[in-house]
Amino acid sequence: MSVSPIGRETARVDGPLKVTGRAPYAADYHPDGLVYGHLILATVGRGTVREMDVSLAEAAPGVLAVYTPFRSIRIINDFAGRGAENYTVLQDTTVRFRGQIIGLVVADTLERARDAAALVTAEYTSTTPRTSLADSGPGTSPGAEQVLAPGVGSIDEALASAPVTITTTVSQHAQHHVAMEPHATTAVWQDDQLTLYCGSQGPQRHASAIAASLGVEPAKVRVIARYTGGGFGSRVPAWNEAKLCAAAARALGRPLKVVLTREQLFTTVGHRSAVRQTVRLGAESDGRLIALSHESDAEMPAVAGWPLMPAEGTSAVLYRTPNIRIDQRLVTLDTPSTWAMRGPGEAPGAFAVETAFDELATRTGIDPVELRLRNYAVREPLGGRRFSSKYLDQCYRVGAMRFGWDRRPRRPRSRTDGDWLIGMGMATAIYQGGRGSSSARVQFRDDGRVTVASGTSDIGTGAWTMLAVAGADALGLPVAAMVPELGDSALPPGGSAAVGSGATASTVPAVQAACRSAVTALIRAAVENPRSPFHGLDPADVRYRQGRVSSGRRSMGFRDLLRAMGVPDVQAVENTEGIDRDGPYAFQSFGAHFCEVRVHRLTGDIRVSRFTSVFDVGTVINARTARSQLIGGIIWGIGGALLESDPIEPDGRYAAANMADYLVPVNADVPAIDVHWLDHPDPQVSEVGARGLGELGNVGSAAAVGNAVFNATGIRVRDLPITLDKLL
Amino acid sequence: MREFQFARPGSVAEAVREADPGTAFLAGGTTLVDLMKLEVMTPGRVLDINRLPLRAIEATGEGLEIGSLVRMRDVATHTLVRRDYPVVAQALEASASGQLRTMASIGGNLLQRTRCGYFRDVSVPCNKRRPGSGCPAVGGENRMHAVLGTSDSCVATHPSDLAVALVALDATVRLRSRTGERTISLRDLYLLPGDTPHREHDLQPGELITAVVLPRLPWASHSIYVKVRDRQSYEFALASAAVAVRRERDTIVEARVAVGGMGTRPWRLAAVEAALAGRPATEASYEAASARALDGVRPLRHNAFKPELMRRTLVRALLELERTR
Ligand SMILES: Cc1cc2nc3c(=O)[nH]c(=O)nc-3n(C[C@H](O)[C@H](O)[C@H](O)COP(=O)(O)OP(=O)(O)OC[C@H]3O[C@@H](n4cnc5c(N)ncnc54)[C@H](O)[C@@H]3O)c2cc1C
Ligand code: SF4
Repeated sequence: MSVSPIGRETARVDGPLKVTGRAPYAADYHPDGLVYGHLILATVGRGTVREMDVSLAEAAPGVLAVYTPFRSIRIINDFAGRGAENYTVLQDTTVRFRGQIIGLVVADTLERARDAAALVTAEYTSTTPRTSLADSGPGTSPGAEQVLAPGVGSIDEALASAPVTITTTVSQHAQHHVAMEPHATTAVWQDDQLTLYCGSQGPQRHASAIAASLGVEPAKVRVIARYTGGGFGSRVPAWNEAKLCAAAARALGRPLKVVLTREQLFTTVGHRSAVRQTVRLGAESDGRLIALSHESDAEMPAVAGWPLMPAEGTSAVLYRTPNIRIDQRLVTLDTPSTWAMRGPGEAPGAFAVETAFDELATRTGIDPVELRLRNYAVREPLGGRRFSSKYLDQCYRVGAMRFGWDRRPRRPRSRTDGDWLIGMGMATAIYQGGRGSSSARVQFRDDGRVTVASGTSDIGTGAWTMLAVAGADALGLPVAAMVPELGDSALPPGGSAAVGSGATASTVPAVQAACRSAVTALIRAAVENPRSPFHGLDPADVRYRQGRVSSGRRSMGFRDLLRAMGVPDVQAVENTEGIDRDGPYAFQSFGAHFCEVRVHRLTGDIRVSRFTSVFDVGTVINARTARSQLIGGIIWGIGGALLESDPIEPDGRYAAANMADYLVPVNADVPAIDVHWLDHPDPQVSEVGARGLGELGNVGSAAAVGNAVFNATGIRVRDLPITLDKLL
Repeated sequence: MREFQFARPGSVAEAVREADPGTAFLAGGTTLVDLMKLEVMTPGRVLDINRLPLRAIEATGEGLEIGSLVRMRDVATHTLVRRDYPVVAQALEASASGQLRTMASIGGNLLQRTRCGYFRDVSVPCNKRRPGSGCPAVGGENRMHAVLGTSDSCVATHPSDLAVALVALDATVRLRSRTGERTISLRDLYLLPGDTPHREHDLQPGELITAVVLPRLPWASHSIYVKVRDRQSYEFALASAAVAVRRERDTIVEARVAVGGMGTRPWRLAAVEAALAGRPATEASYEAASARALDGVRPLRHNAFKPELMRRTLVRALLELERTR
């Protein structure tokens, strides 16, 4: 009897390799003849490079090439094919933002490349960049969306009619992904075939982007990204460093490696837009919503990037209201390209609406949990569809119980422990669920193991283990018998990228389908192969169960069967479709966060002392990695609330573009986090019922912290981060 | 990083003989190597002093003498330091991280460079790094910067926690150069920026710190270091206070008070000390005395909160110290 590993605690199958340093990341490849590149970045915010003096660099020891806009290598614009930036690196002298790549130095050692790069000087003609979101008026609206009750003329009219109104304006500066592994690329050409080692959230997408930039057939590019030290969105596009690396390696006829410095990452691989939001709530005095308006102005770089849309994934799907309007405007600025960052719109959006809800609770005197239950939505307030499966009410109730919400001080600034003010706050988590298309290959091998392969990526999420768990479950075999494969663009096309919290929910169904087909193929081989003991039988009379093929009293393990047949393996590839995003159901995952903070009455130090979160995510595939994802998301929320912020200066310089100044939480900032999930498989999403959870923990957690700080101090901080000087 | 010559002298005499104006001593390297990588410091010559015999902690008639190469961790965990000078142990434990404290030396700690972001970024001007080039911090992002001892040329804070505790204790440093030995007060080691912010201390070129002396001060056993910062660990102070108090019954007889995160050098607050002397040990006295900390502050655009935070940090330190009795 084998017990299904689905939902159980399975240790990471790649864990031993990682903790012993044997898992090769992109910069760990050392092909023969390797040379090294170092980037040069612009130090003005907007203008043109008039000239660059590369003579000292070219004369420096070991230098092989210095590429600049004046002496470039050809790269083709791939913006139309979902590239992040609309210009093409090193193809003109325009400087569009401070920190744009304006050169690449290649030398025989890393140190020589770096030292030579420091010898290059650039002369600019510069103009003043647009960098301040705060000083910009409303941005350009792609079109507001609204639903109004019959007879209501406008959202303002609906708000004006409400007995209670709340207006909350919140803001935050740029935030950065700061993945642990810096972006790095190693490019190796063999004849006209390129192998590119890099971190990637979707190696197959990466390969086609690189191919397009180089003007070669997609089949000529293979991207290998077996281990990726964090992505959070910043490894979805192929950025300029990878394109330059590939092109320069081709031009030089040498394998080339380019590793970005930590500082360079802050302007070259995307960031979360600075954003300002205003939420207006109109409610009855019993807290029931009459109207909700959510407007935003988000930084949108002139060079393009990810449009931050904070309302569509939060206010538009959260609470029941007869009148709702969202307007998500974009403000053009001369800043580096933005890109999706964990809970891209949802994390900032939830901070806005969940802060406003806390203000409404305070104003009406209704408990924040009760207020949310009174406004519970069974349909999308804006779209009108029903949810595929929703147990958010249970999340609130179970969470409140586990946390001890009934002990929350009702009045702000009313509970102390010595010099520490104690406060409790809560907020809702929501993030789109569902599944996209995917593919998988499953292969029975004559060594008794089974390869489970998919062209997805493991960015630290646990995808390696997910493949093993899904295969083991579908085939009734131990997890240890599975050999997962991922992170390679040469795997069957159509693999799910690790984006939108969807890799697991998308890939498990593909693995299941491929397992079924592999079993069918194994049985067919067993009846067709003359050396098989099952030769000639009707396939309908042959069964597969837990690794054994049997018919009547005849039974044989697949390893022995393959050996008997003289066949090294039997395999099948399957592609699965995603759910219909425009179909009858809205797919969302949900959660409720509860947070306790302590604030020093004199100096305002904020310590998050307890955190409890309960989630409704459908089926959990691996409890251990799921918990790790959810906890990680909550820690991001704590960081977003209290620490992470990068103000931009008038000349386009980021003030905190390094890890000394850009603060992320350290262990001392993180309390024990109690994460719990309900067990309600989503019947609409897939057979296994998993909706996805990677980003969910990050949504709403910052608001829970902020609401707890308000409960502790009576001070509402709307401009993130909530630092102690704002509480003095 | 620029090319440099490297040597490893075996004795103090050899080290100071070899040192010339372009030389940097390498102790733990946690400041020096970092800044060399950023090309903020570009010494032509690096002398690794780790072989020098400056690793002892000894009780002498004067007090406790700590060799300049003793690691931060070894001072923080030393029995006599913990018993007689808790403010020093606490300042060290609130500094940096475990790894850094194991690597970094006491001498290097006192000479660490400011964390001003403009100083550390060679793509922008900075009077301290490139004299006369300007100070972008005065009108820029200056939330972390100083409000005491600043000038129009430089507003950078001195980052060391340890130095704040040592200044409160009137610690001295032993120095050795080609021309001989001398001992000076740590307070006098640090210079105000004035219009020469690149001159940070009173050391002669090639002069070596050989030891730090904590003077005997029996009531320093009743001392505390409180550090207030954005992140709970691994982060520099927004405000910190080193406080020692001698009490008789409920009256403060004498006090030592210094603050960090506020000044362009570790800042002793004589006015607060005077205002505490003879007062009852109550929160009201602490409040009244700490108001004197605000004498002469010059807040900047983003750090207007600092004077008040300093005042409150002092009150908190005095209260917490009272509770340790
Ligand atoms: C991430 C990070 C966080 C930190 N956080 C804190 C903190 O919270 N609080 C805090 O106080 N510090 C903090 N620090 C600074 C740290 O304490 C110092 O870098 C360290 O103490 C320097 O000691 P070192 O031996 O490594 O010095 P080195 O880097 O070797 O030297 C520093 C300087 O002193 C000179 N020098 C060294 N020894 C002598 C000597 N005996 N005589 C004359 N000159 C000498 C060197 O030439 C160099 O100029 C932090 C550092 C980092 C990197
Ligand atoms: S404050 Fe001092 S260190 Fe900072 S930029 Fe100005 S001159 Fe340089």
